This record gives sequence, structure tokens and C-alpha cells, in this order.
Amino acid sequence: MSENDMLKKFMKDAFEKGLIEAVMAPAATKDSYTYALITKKEDVDKLTPIAPVMQWNGADMLRRITRLKKSERKLLAILRPCESRTYKELVKFNQINPENIIVLSYDCPGTIHARTFKYEPTTAEELLGEIKKGGKSNKIREACKVCEYPTPIPNVGDIGLGLVNTDEPVFFALSEKGRKFLADMGIQEGTRDADAWVEEHRKRREEWYEKERIRGGRKGLEDFLSSCLNCHNCKNMCPICFCKECFFEDRTVFDYESSKFFNWADDKDGIRLPTDKALFHIGRLIHMGTSCIGCGLCQQACPMDIPLYRLFGIVGNELQKVFNYKPGVNDDIPPVMDFREDELHEFEGLFGGEE
Amino acid sequence: MSEKKFEPVIVGFFCNWCTSAAADLAGTSRLHYPPNIRPIRVMCSSTVDPVYMIRALQEGADATILGGCHPGDCHYITGNYKARRRIAIVKTVLRSLGFDEDRVLLEWISGSEGPKFARVMNEYTEYIRNKGPSDFKYLDSLGGEEIE
Repeated sequence: MSENDMLKKFMKDAFEKGLIEAVMAPAATKDSYTYALITKKEDVDKLTPIAPVMQWNGADMLRRITRLKKSERKLLAILRPCESRTYKELVKFNQINPENIIVLSYDCPGTIHARTFKYEPTTAEELLGEIKKGGKSNKIREACKVCEYPTPIPNVGDIGLGLVNTDEPVFFALSEKGRKFLADMGIQEGTRDADAWVEEHRKRREEWYEKERIRGGRKGLEDFLSSCLNCHNCKNMCPICFCKECFFEDRTVFDYESSKFFNWADDKDGIRLPTDKALFHIGRLIHMGTSCIGCGLCQQACPMDIPLYRLFGIVGNELQKVFNYKPGVNDDIPPVMDFREDELHEFEGLFGGEE
Repeated sequence: MSEKKFEPVIVGFFCNWCTSAAADLAGTSRLHYPPNIRPIRVMCSSTVDPVYMIRALQEGADATILGGCHPGDCHYITGNYKARRRIAIVKTVLRSLGFDEDRVLLEWISGSEGPKFARVMNEYTEYIRNKGPSDFKYLDSLGGEEIE
């Protein structure tokens, strides 16, 4: 039985036992996979719980469901590890109400770029075949290749499904809620050894930081963003950019009188239009960088194929190091919501915290 | 190009309750501080989204200062701690992209520290004058010197 069939059986059993009343999981469309919400046991067969494509971040969908009120029904959400970390992060930002939601996460084989998938489709089984042997497909997205947490982590989500280095998938609990759920389902918890597999990802990530970081100040950033269309797609797809009204969409801030344009062109020996392109990316880094989960959807969303995850992932990592913060993996408060009285003195004053 | 001595433009965001008062005190005490500083009075250092500081740099400022109350003295109890986190974020972003992080300055200057205000402004202006024009303003423009 394939992993997907097994998960579907798991859902049907849970429906029958009355443990859940709805499921949110991916479902196939003609060219891609979308998230789907079902409320009937018969509809389970329409789902593909482990999809080879991540077109949206599932946590963002949960945010839409619980934006006004907590989930009305007992909802089982199938999320990748990056999505469940996003879920955790959005719960901290009060964007998701976790009540009545059970999150099941699994050892992630990675996903294929949605556009690549459209023209060269593949199956989740093909990707899963690689990780069962402890490997990784080389078709997957850059962000997936250098993923820092490709497995479910304790206390992030409720139920984990182990697939690495094992022929028989194993369930394990990530939280008390999950432990109770598995017990009610009559499922024995199991273990699998994924440490070496995770370690490989992290090694790749360290090398990636060194190799791909954007250097060279103005020239480096300008060249990196040179084909940017200023479409703001990266922002729209970013699950952390949840503000109702974005600063960068504010016409009162970014509409200027013509004299301003001419003055800039005078001062700067010619300006590129539209203006504020680099400012948008730097500004977004300042606003969400400390909580960048690393789903890489900014990069997938870019119509010009700018490897944006190198910008947000790498600078985001630097930011997170400053605050010793790992978004979505534990209960620490996000840096932008918190402060200490005695900290960060190296950023005060001109030469770092004298006087 | 260097016939005229370079005079930096420095945008200062000063807290209404302390640094702005210190600027007034420096003025009434007849302490000299350079005309390169363009003060903007804000109600609290934490009201300044660092994007505005970046924007000032982009629009032609050579440096920006955020002036707030000393830790523990915030009129709104905790505003300056939040401002410090934001400055840490903006400085880290600038540094990791390879820009000059020293063009963003955070200083604690209380309402009674007129002499400190004048000294900091003099020192910082001199420091930026020695550094030369900011290259950040040429981001997304056709001008500026090619570096490296």
C-alpha cells in the first residue's frame, strides 16, 4: 500500500471513529495540486495527502479558515514540515486559532517547482521512493534541497509520519493532543532513524549559505534583482506576510509628484523606473525576515525566476542568529513581538555600546 | 568632483520626549551642532519603522539617526526597547547585504543632555564626512561609481 493510500485509510478510520469532522489536504488538479477541504468520508479518495508540488503554504489556508473564528469542526490538516512550522509561527502571531485543529506532518521528500511540474509531471511516489532509501531526488526545489528541518519536530504539529529509512511508515506523536489521537485510533507509535538524513540537509544548507549569499552591496543587490518586475508576488505568496494592509501597497506613501522624479533623476544621474524596487525587498526583509520559515514559496512565485530564497533565507538566517531565534520550531516569542531590557548593546551608538 | 568639500545630509528621527528636548536645550544653551542634521520629531523612537530610515538613505540622505530615551526612561514605558530591536534588524540586513551599517545610528539622549546631543551630532557628522557620500542612494539608479 502506498503512503498516500495509507494516509487515506487513516483519514477514513478517523472519520469513522468520529475523531475528525473535516480534512484539509492537497488534491490533484489538471496541472498541479491545490489544497482541498472535505467534510465527508466519501470524499477522502479525492485527496492526495502527499503531493509532489506545494503551490500554496497550507498554514496560509488554515489562517484563512480560522481568521474570523476558531475552527467550527474537528479538522485534520496534512502539512509538510515547513508548513507546520509556519502554522506554529502564525499561531504565535495570533493569525491561526489552533483549537480544534490536528496537524499531521511527515518526513518530506521535497517538492518540485510548480512550473516545472506543469510541463514535466511526476508523482509523489517517485520522490518518496528516494527518501525511503535515505536519499533525495534532485528534481526538487532549491529551498527543499537545503531544508533545515525536513522532518516533523516535537511540539510542532500533533502527529508525525516517519518515511525515511523505513519500508513501513511509522506514526509517532508530536504533542499530547497527537498522542491521545493516536491512542484513540489504536495506532502503535513507532520510530525510525532519520538523523543522518537530516544532517545531510543541514550540511548542504551550510554550504549553500556560503556559496549563494548576496555580496557586494549595491552592485550585488542590483544585479540580483535586475529582472524584478515589481509584481509583489513574493509578498503575496509569503505566509509570514499576513498584514491586511501592506506598507508597500500604500499609494499615499509611494505616489509622488512629478517634481520628485525629476529631482531624483538630477541627483542620482538617472533613475530606474518603477522606483522603490530594491526598497520593497529590503523593507520586506526588515518586516518578515526574523520569522522567515524557509518554505521558498517566494522563489517559486517569482515570474522571472529570481532565486529569492537566497535573499530571504540567507539574510533571514543572519537576522535569526542575532536574536537566537528559530522560527516555528519552539515556543519562543518572535523577535518583533518581544524585547529584553538588557540586550543588543552592540547596536547602540556609533562604536557599539559605550557610555 | 571634489572641488567643493563634501557635506553630508543626515536625517534624524528624534523622540519628542527626550532627544528633541535635548536638541532644544542645545539650542537654548547656544551649543553648536552642524546644519547637516535634518531633524524630524517623532512621538517615540518606536514609531519609526526602519523602512523609513532605509527610504531616507535611498532618497539621498547619507546617514540617519534614531534618537530615543535611555533604556528604562521611555515615556511609553517600553518603546525604546522595541526601537532597539528594529535597529538591530535593519543594521543586520544592511551588513549582510554588504552595505554600510554605520549609516544607521541609534543613540540614547535624554532631555537634559543638550551637551551630549551637540557632541554626538558633531562627531557623527564628522564621521560621515570622512566616510564620504553614501552609495545607497544610487540603488536602482543609473548614477554612482562602480565599486569593486
